[in-house]
Amino acid sequence: MTVPVSDLIDGGIEAYLAGREQDARAAFLEALRVEPGNVKARWYLERLGPGDAQAPEPAGRPAPQTGGAAPPAGPAIDQRLAPFAAPIPSLEDDPAPSPWDDGPSAAATIVLEPSGGLDLGAIAEKSDLRPLVPEGARPAPLRRTDVEVWLSAAKELFALGDFSGSLELIEKILQVDPDHGEARDYLRQNEATLISMYESKLGPLSRVPRLAIKPEEVLWLNLDHRAGFLLAQIDGTVDFESLFALSGLPRLDTARILANLIADGVITR
Amino acid sequence: MSDLDPVIGIDLGTTNSVVATVRDGVPRVIPNRSGQLLTPSIVAVAKNGKKLVGPLAKRQAITNAENTVFAAKRLIGRRWGSKEVEDARTVLPYRLVAGPEGNDVRVDLAGRVVSISEISALVLAELKADAEAWFGRPVKRAVVTVPAYFNDGQRQATRDAGKIAGLEVLRIINEPTSAALAYGFGKQMEKKVVVFDLGGGTFDVSILDIGKSVYDVVAVGGDTYLGGEDFDRRIMDWLTFGFAKENAGIDLRQDKMALQRLKDSAEKAKCELSGAPSASIHLPFLVAGADGKGALHLDKQLAREQLEELTKDLVERCIAVAEKTLKDAGVRPSQVGEVLLVGGMTRMPRVQKAVKEFFGREPCRGVHPEEVVALGAAIQAHALVEPSAKGEDVLLLDVTPQNLGLLVVGGYFQTVIPKNTTVPTNQTHLFTTVQDAQTSVRIAVLQGASERAIDNELLGEFILDGIRPARRGEVSIEVSFEISADGIVGVSARDVDTGQQQSITVTATSGLTEEELRRILDEQLDDLLERKATAGEFEEKRDRAQAIVQEMEALVPAVQEALERTRFGKDAVHKADGVLARVRAAIDARDVAALEREHEALDRTLQLFRGLAAQARLPQGK
Repeated sequence: MTVPVSDLIDGGIEAYLAGREQDARAAFLEALRVEPGNVKARWYLERLGPGDAQAPEPAGRPAPQTGGAAPPAGPAIDQRLAPFAAPIPSLEDDPAPSPWDDGPSAAATIVLEPSGGLDLGAIAEKSDLRPLVPEGARPAPLRRTDVEVWLSAAKELFALGDFSGSLELIEKILQVDPDHGEARDYLRQNEATLISMYESKLGPLSRVPRLAIKPEEVLWLNLDHRAGFLLAQIDGTVDFESLFALSGLPRLDTARILANLIADGVITR
Repeated sequence: MSDLDPVIGIDLGTTNSVVATVRDGVPRVIPNRSGQLLTPSIVAVAKNGKKLVGPLAKRQAITNAENTVFAAKRLIGRRWGSKEVEDARTVLPYRLVAGPEGNDVRVDLAGRVVSISEISALVLAELKADAEAWFGRPVKRAVVTVPAYFNDGQRQATRDAGKIAGLEVLRIINEPTSAALAYGFGKQMEKKVVVFDLGGGTFDVSILDIGKSVYDVVAVGGDTYLGGEDFDRRIMDWLTFGFAKENAGIDLRQDKMALQRLKDSAEKAKCELSGAPSASIHLPFLVAGADGKGALHLDKQLAREQLEELTKDLVERCIAVAEKTLKDAGVRPSQVGEVLLVGGMTRMPRVQKAVKEFFGREPCRGVHPEEVVALGAAIQAHALVEPSAKGEDVLLLDVTPQNLGLLVVGGYFQTVIPKNTTVPTNQTHLFTTVQDAQTSVRIAVLQGASERAIDNELLGEFILDGIRPARRGEVSIEVSFEISADGIVGVSARDVDTGQQQSITVTATSGLTEEELRRILDEQLDDLLERKATAGEFEEKRDRAQAIVQEMEALVPAVQEALERTRFGKDAVHKADGVLARVRAAIDARDVAALEREHEALDRTLQLFRGLAAQARLPQGK
């Protein structure tokens, strides 16, 4: 059975964050094999760089790449100030410290305890090995661990500037645990940033987007039904602001879908 | 074009509305700002809080059904608790509530209770704005059409809607009359004309006696829940069931987005099939597949014959209604001189064929059925403000739309002023007592077409007492009706022998009190003033922000030079990027509040740039 692309990408991100670059590369390549047009997989592969030419990474997480390809979604850099923006990793408008900076890093590192023993917790975290669960105990730990991994990964991705990837993981957490306080806080704190990030890709909201491909080519795209709905509304008469009004979706979702349609060359503004 | 202020004719429909005018002597429809001739009579508050009117409101009518008001015309001027309102409540997805006096109907639209006149006003205002965009100058006067069966209350509510929209309603005219005017009937002809009006949501059949510029609507029939949307629904059902069959039972009706697209494409296909033998319905990525699989597509061909089969009973219903209306009026199809087709659904070849078969004659063609009513209204508006020197124009007079009269013994209705009487007018009738020693009498003023009082609308009532006691039939009571030019009805009753008198004044009411109407108009004025004030404030803030941005741009080379010498300031410059992006977005969105928020940051950024530029001017090594 084919593994869903989203799972492959999630697996790739987890491997990447845990320092298993080869595994991550394999996951992203597999995602691209299943879905050749997948922008996210392509972008992560670009981040990883060419496999053989890359210097071996130290154990632990790879260093953030600042000069790599632009992520699928990032803020617009003011053209007239481009000379200043260029050398700076401009993945967000405001480079103020991330709220996650004070928290622990995502992937546990294996350290020897002062007495010479191993940090078993860290090994378990990294190896995915789990102790036996006594009969009658709550079955929650497995799910909880997943949530923790996703949360760590979300923080990591946020720090790296991959806001949308980070948000996807948060949404995943909220699917499992809709009342997860930290995830809710994250969403609340960063929604405005994410919306403005996507909206900056759209340009002035008074612009009227148009289909950039032939109508018969739409069938060859890889869209979900929500993107299909929004795309059906783009008929050359409705501006972006009106699309937000008639989409019925949360503003963030609408902005994300529209930004992706522009990035994929499906619509033009 | 005339130098006079432009005037327009408006067909305020249940489903769609149309605005027209007469330009250089030619009646023509004014397209809306999206380029379409028809504007959906739909008002909504979108999920993001934006107020939508017309085409955009229609596009989200299913996905945001509870906050989308359509078919307001079915409710305008109706009384809370009436059969029509109760029927509407069972089918409308939005919430209706009683007005403050408990008499009229209001809508709860996104938490705000608004009158039906206000909803219709939004549609009228949209049409007014379309006309203003087309003329390039303000439009203040209009003739508006209403169904022939509308009573005074409904007509007054429509007038109020015009007033709220900023329009002086020169005249309210009947839709079938307007259609006949557009065909130029009434000048030299004398014949019976049937107007077969199958619109988006309602079906009306009217029989007119036309002669010597008199348009007498002699009979009206119809079905207020039969129209183009029923035809759309049949196509939607056909698509839904076909899709479920081919896709393991996936029910498109459970997905509002899919249903919205289905509705839009069903309507489009239906329209296409009036001119082509088949239509393609192609909806890619319509609905999520089962078990998380990719989105599914819908791809179907619908042939005209299939549509005719799917809607056969609907067409038969139309003909049955027409037959009943003619029968009730004692008119044989062979006596009908002309048949006018009105409403988009009459474009359907099967409908035209059925009409031809029933009346035994070809219906009139030549004027688009969707446009004909608005064109007639435009012709009438033009005649009112610019009467032709030759007197060729047909100028309709303000007439009473329905019979006015009294409740009489046995529960019957006695007409005092018959419908189509030109106003102002007055009439006096003599009545007598029904019992021996009767000392008081109830005067109930009614309006309507039925012989039975209970079927007509009660406008008001009063008691005349102090009548001289006498044997029944011996006392004469004189009842006078008077209708002023403003449509105010005065009714008085007087005991001829004693001179004892009582009277009542009845003003057609829309449900909105004078006070409410004044408040709404005041609010609109406040809104207008606020918009003007905001526009001024925005321009001031925008100019100021742009001046700062220009100065910053001029400082860029010096700042760049300073940054090459130091590691300080880079973060701040990056922050400046963000500030500038937000300022530009605020200017694009004309967002005064956002510009205000960014003002301080922009000022700080300018100071930083000035500081860095000053540093660049210092000699190296300092």
